[in-house]
Amino acid sequence: MIKVFNLYKSYGGITPVLMDISFDIQDGEFVLLTGQSGAGKTTLFKVLFGWEKFDRGQILVGGINVGKLNEKNLYQLRRKVGFVFQDYKLLVKKTVFENVAFAQQIVGANMKTVRTKTWNALKNVGLVKKKDSYPSQLSGGEQQRVSIARAIVNDPELILADEPTGNLDSEISKEILALFEKINEQGKTIIIATHSAEILSEKERRHLLLKRGKLLQS
Amino acid sequence: MNLFPFNFVKSTLSNIKSNKQLFLLSVATNFIAFTVLGIFSLLFVNLDILLSSWDKHIQLIVYLDDKISNSNKKKIELLFNSNNKINSIIFISRNQAWKNFRGKFYSKSKFVASLKFNPLPDSYTLRFASGPDRLKNIRDFSEKIKNEKGVESVEYGEKWISRFEQFMIFLRGFILTFGVVLFFGMILIISNSIKLSIYSRKDEIDLMTLLGATHQFIKIPLLLEGLLQGVAGALLSLISVKLIHLYIVFRFQGSLESIFRGLEFQYLTNPIIYSVISTGVIIGILGSSSSANQFLDRRNPE
Repeated sequence: MIKVFNLYKSYGGITPVLMDISFDIQDGEFVLLTGQSGAGKTTLFKVLFGWEKFDRGQILVGGINVGKLNEKNLYQLRRKVGFVFQDYKLLVKKTVFENVAFAQQIVGANMKTVRTKTWNALKNVGLVKKKDSYPSQLSGGEQQRVSIARAIVNDPELILADEPTGNLDSEISKEILALFEKINEQGKTIIIATHSAEILSEKERRHLLLKRGKLLQS
Repeated sequence: MNLFPFNFVKSTLSNIKSNKQLFLLSVATNFIAFTVLGIFSLLFVNLDILLSSWDKHIQLIVYLDDKISNSNKKKIELLFNSNNKINSIIFISRNQAWKNFRGKFYSKSKFVASLKFNPLPDSYTLRFASGPDRLKNIRDFSEKIKNEKGVESVEYGEKWISRFEQFMIFLRGFILTFGVVLFFGMILIISNSIKLSIYSRKDEIDLMTLLGATHQFIKIPLLLEGLLQGVAGALLSLISVKLIHLYIVFRFQGSLESIFRGLEFQYLTNPIIYSVISTGVIIGILGSSSSANQFLDRRNPE
């Protein structure tokens, strides 16, 4: 699913953020990307997602050579990846249903598909009853579940979740983690960037450990 | 049903709704600019009609010397007959001219009544074939004939026609220059209004790109918004110029009839109307696409 070779990334060519990163992630894997704040987890995600450019190296995501993409065909990569943001990035003027459907509308799905897939995604995250609520009427955990529903609604092969439990208490964090496990059981590749103790101690999983921009464990 | 066109329209309307004031301000500015241009065009169209109608009535009068010899007279007549652009030649003798003149002015002027001799010369009234070069033909022929022996003078109202023509050339140049300046000004206005519209929805557009929206998906509603601003401004200006035209026709009907001598005071011609609408379309698209491209090209900074 993901192949990264000798990846280097710096800001302004001066401050190195990622140094000589190489790893492979197979289809259907559940991987935790860990490391202290500032280790480069979010930057690595942004680079994998084509959100930021990198200096050197090769990245293949689902067969797409990320370095070869330009602004106009970046959407091809983004449609293969569902991204879960720490700050949820929900549109405050749209309802839960509309927020999830938005991702479907963007890819040009027809009305029937939008309705069915949005409904299924909301069912998957247990938010059908809240479909008409606005983000401001939801708890942090519920907002994150909407964000997850939006990430999975287009049926991507890979889910990148950047500190998905960063703003949530431990009980809700476990619920969110359970949700990701359920999605993983459906065959999706999941990578979660986290330094949450609950997630790390939950189960034995593959870890990618970053320290000051270097990969110590893969 | 594919949601694409529906979504574009919905998204455009929602953009307009959330930036109503900005949209109306841009439409109003375009409307004012187009209306000013439309009023000048209205003036131009009608003056041009007036000039054309005058053009049709212009005839060349060749006044002869009192002492012209018969051979010179024949030579002049030969020149008239050899010109195939001349439709009719009417000879008016000095006696006939004096009779006509006295008939018209005898009762109106004491001076005319007191004149004991005929001051008028023999003359020829020449009518030229109609066509776009009619005035030029008259001008060229008058230049040729005025130096002939036996010709005292030629007359076709050259001075005022030339002045009027020069004024029309100036007016045309002014409208074109003014139009070009307004064209770029309106592009700038629409471009800025779209830019503000983009920034007010920056979070949504950012999210669109992150969720895999194509540039086209983001751009089309913005282009539609700009297009609507340009076209709405253009259409409203055409309506307002029509109202001004109707007002002038009703309010100054008597004066217009005397100035236009039976001609109607016209509204803008179809080519001008189409040009105004297409300019609205062009400025709308150019203004919005420049802002949209600028924004999208800046996405994902390094």
